Formats: sequence, C-alpha cells, structure tokens
Amino acid sequence: MSGHILIQQPGNAVVTDLGRFRGPRFGLPVNGALDQYSARAANILAGNLDNDPLVEITALDFRMKAQSDILIAITGAPLTLTVGGRQCSQWEPVSVRAGETVAIRGINRGLRAYLAIHGSVEAPTLLGSCAPDTVVGFGLQLKEGATLLTRRSVGPVRQPYFDLPLFRLGLERPDMGQELMVDVTDGPDVAEFGDSAEVLFTSEYAVSGRSNHIGLRLGGELPERTSSGEVLSRGVPVGAVEVPSREELLVLHRGRGVTAGYPVLAVVTSNGLDVLAQARPGDKVRFRKTTVAEATSAHRRSRAQLETLRESVNTVFGLLGIGCRPQWQDLPVAACS
Amino acid sequence: MSVLTAAPTEIYESGDSALRVVALAEASEDNWLTVHRLADWLESCGAEGLHGAVPTYDSVLVEFDPVLVSARQVRAFVKLGLLEMARSAGTAAAPREFDVPVVYGGEYGPDLEKVAEYQGISTAEVIRLHTEKTYTVRCLGAPAGSPMMDGPAFLKPVPRLKDPRLSVPAGAVAVAGRQAVIAPAVAPGGWCVIGQTPLTVLNIRREPLVPYKPGDILRFRRIEAGDFDSYAGKELEPTP
Repeated sequence: MSGHILIQQPGNAVVTDLGRFRGPRFGLPVNGALDQYSARAANILAGNLDNDPLVEITALDFRMKAQSDILIAITGAPLTLTVGGRQCSQWEPVSVRAGETVAIRGINRGLRAYLAIHGSVEAPTLLGSCAPDTVVGFGLQLKEGATLLTRRSVGPVRQPYFDLPLFRLGLERPDMGQELMVDVTDGPDVAEFGDSAEVLFTSEYAVSGRSNHIGLRLGGELPERTSSGEVLSRGVPVGAVEVPSREELLVLHRGRGVTAGYPVLAVVTSNGLDVLAQARPGDKVRFRKTTVAEATSAHRRSRAQLETLRESVNTVFGLLGIGCRPQWQDLPVAACS
Repeated sequence: MSVLTAAPTEIYESGDSALRVVALAEASEDNWLTVHRLADWLESCGAEGLHGAVPTYDSVLVEFDPVLVSARQVRAFVKLGLLEMARSAGTAAAPREFDVPVVYGGEYGPDLEKVAEYQGISTAEVIRLHTEKTYTVRCLGAPAGSPMMDGPAFLKPVPRLKDPRLSVPAGAVAVAGRQAVIAPAVAPGGWCVIGQTPLTVLNIRREPLVPYKPGDILRFRRIEAGDFDSYAGKELEPTP
C-alpha cells in the first residue's frame, strides 16, 4: 500500500540519494547527500536501502503532513522534531499517523538534516540517480503544497504507555560544534606548494557565507603555489583542496565541476567530507594530516557501525512486523531450485 | 584503424576514493590516447567498487568506493589495465562528425572584438581561423559535459575574462588559452564567448546527455543572425 505526504513548509529541501556515480564520466558531478553517513543512517533507521531517495533539509525549518500512516527517521544536524505536537527523538525510527504534522525546527548547529520515509519516496532519475544537479537543471526541489508519494505505508507503532519513545537503537551520532577538525591526505600536486603546504595544518580557517554544495570557501592563512604556468584540465576528486585566489581556500564538495585546472594541494577524507557537509558560515575549521590507509580504515569503521545498526533495525522491525524487504530465506523453494 | 600502444604512466594518490593516472609520453596525442583507452578499459570491465574514470588530456581520475576496494587494489588493477593495453594492439573507433552552425559576434558573441583586438587581427579573421579547422573532442568537461577541444590557430593564447560572467547561455561558443568549447547548459564562465549555436546540445531526457564523445570531430560553420531562429528546437546530431 502506498502513502501520501503533503509538504506544508518546504524551507530548503530536496529529494536526493547517495549520488550520481556514473555522472563524472559524462562531465556531471556526483552530487547526492552531502553528509553521507547521516543519509545512510536515516535510510537504515527507516528500514530502507542506503541509496533510496530521501529528503535533504538544509538550514531552514520544514513542515509536512502525513496523509497516511508512515514510519520516518531523521538524522544529521541537531534540531527540534515534533510529530503531531509531541517532541520526538532524532536518530530513531518515528511512527507518524495519518493527519499528523511533522515539524523540523531550529537547525543552528550543523547545517543539513536527512528525513527518510519507510518505503522511500518516488522521484525521477537521471543516469540512475535522483540527486539534483543545479547545472543541468535536474532534481526535485520541494515546494509548498507538493505531494510526495511513498512506496509503502506502515500502520501505527506506538508504546501503549504514555507514548514513550519506542526505539533506542543507540547509533553513535557525529559531533557537531562550531570548531571542526577535518582529516586530509596529501594531494597529487602537494609538491607544487613547497614548504608552504604546512600552513594548511597550522592555520585556522573560517567558513565563508559563499559556500555551498559545489564547494566551501575558507578564509585564513593560505599556502602558496611555488610553480606557475597553466595546468591542463584534469579530473578533480571530491574533497580537493585548492588555492584558486589570494583570498580564500576552496574545498570542493559533491557538486564540484568534474574537471579543473588548479593544482590539488590536499584531499579531504570521506569522513572529513561529512564533517564539512555540516559546516555553517562562520564555523572554524582546522585540518589534520592523515594517510590514505588510515583514512580508509576510519571510513570502514564508521560504515561497520552502520552495518551493526542495520542488523538491530532488521531484528526490531522483524519483531514488530514492520515490512522489511523479503530476504532470500523468504523466497519460495521452487525459486531456488 | 591505427595500432596503439600505451604511454608510460605515473599513478598519484588523490584521497581515499580516487587515483590520478598521468601519462608521460612526449607526444600529447599518445598521452591522450592512453588515458582514454585506459578509461574505456576500466569502464568496460565492470569491476565491483569502481565508480568510473574521468579521462581528460594527459590524465585520468579513477573513482572508487573505499569500503569495497582499497586505493592499493585499484592501483594494481590500473597497472593490469595498462599491461593489457601494451600487449594488445587496440583499434580506435571511427569518429563521428558534427556540423555546428554559429552566429558570431554581436549579442551572440560579445567577446569577438576583444579577441580580435588582442590577437591584432580583424573579427573576420578570427571567424575564419575558428571555422577553418576541424576539432577533435578531447574530453567531456565541466559544466554539463562540455566538449573540450584544442583551440583555433591563434598567434597567442586567449586570456580568460578578468570578471567571469555569472551566466553564460547554453550554446555559447567560447575560446580560452589554447582551447575551444561549446557550453551545453547555462552556467557561470570566464572564457571569451565569440558566438552561439542555435542547436540544443544537452538533452537530459536522453542518454548519453550530450551527442558527442571523446574522439568525435566537430566543425563550426558561420550563419547569419537572421537564421538563428530557424534552427530553434533542433538538436546537435552527427552528420550521416
């Protein structure tokens, strides 16, 4: 059974997924949820696949009305969540009855929240992804009065006594303060900056208001390129740290143009990109040097936590009879022979 | 059909999810062929954990999921690909050709006179040099799969604009440095716009989104401003 959601106050919200991984080959950025850990966590908590479409809410308040019974999960930046006027927990599944309003307010530490709905929502795709691309003019930006179709509805799941929170799955939540520590590895062009490359690790940087999903601009002491001359356009990785001007450092994020001609000083790690996804204008950023091997281990540890969460969610949802996707054990015997 | 060999290469770390492979041959044509063949090989083998490859002029960015594969494994895999290429005499696919009508100057090409002045030649001479040669699409770049090409035979490289425009229209035909390009979509840009094609280049309801691919050949043809509207709604397509 499918369901409906009515958008009452869209704020700044889009439907997205983990990204358009086939895009870069065709000159399109990967895009997708900027805080990948929070996006995956929201989908897992809602009993979805990691890459299912979900709502990314940036900075502004958001309100929607469920027109059928649904199950949601909200992760990312800390905020005040109310469902039908009751305060509810973030980072846990939340049951919403038909007619209730879900309100998200007060994002003032961190910048982006993720709202996943069990059964996910319908969204058009381009090269296999629903992630918005502002350059080619693709994507689902939510408007007041718009309706989202969910692929499944979930009957009310409520604690019978005092409506206490039903779930306590205890996933580690990322810290979100105003002083961020971001891990980077040496970039392929670090040699072009000579000794001044070290400035990146001794200086503190302030996030500029001109930052967005394409890249963050950071003010502070800048490393200087010692070589000169035009560089041939090259594919640049998400997370590339560049010094395109004398005023600011540029850190490319998931909306980055795929090719560019500036030397790459450093590259932010996968975990570090999630930290930057939550940086607000005015927040302070410090960079810490790591190696590719360490960055890979750290990223695999955080993904392993999400796998543990998935097992807990499957167990709990199974006990409550919330429709998880059929597993191979559920296939008829004939299908396996 | 030409017989191809692989240029020597160097592989650089580019974070926990990408590697940059740079081809080091003397001839830029060899480097370009090597990185595009390597990208095709990586794309076609469908290895788990590989997101894709972005080849440009002398380098290719290889992107992967660091949970499924490590940078070390991808590096080994790239080396295997390069060995395969060196062993097998590959053949290049036959390029397709595209005819691109362009209105030069005026509101369509606001920087035509600036480019002429900088080169010390007439605007007619700029147009002649731009329409005279054939262009090989070297790679698809930002924004939106722009065809990056080696530029016309100007005396000097063309400087980028001091104040990049916040919005350049789709179809803008531009030059900068020693390069030439068409803008498939509206985007900010710092290149000198010398004309505009009335044809639609980008179509997001079709796959691939742009009709050309690296190796294809483009030719620019001058049309009059009065003919611009007669092409309205037509798409850029290969000539039969």
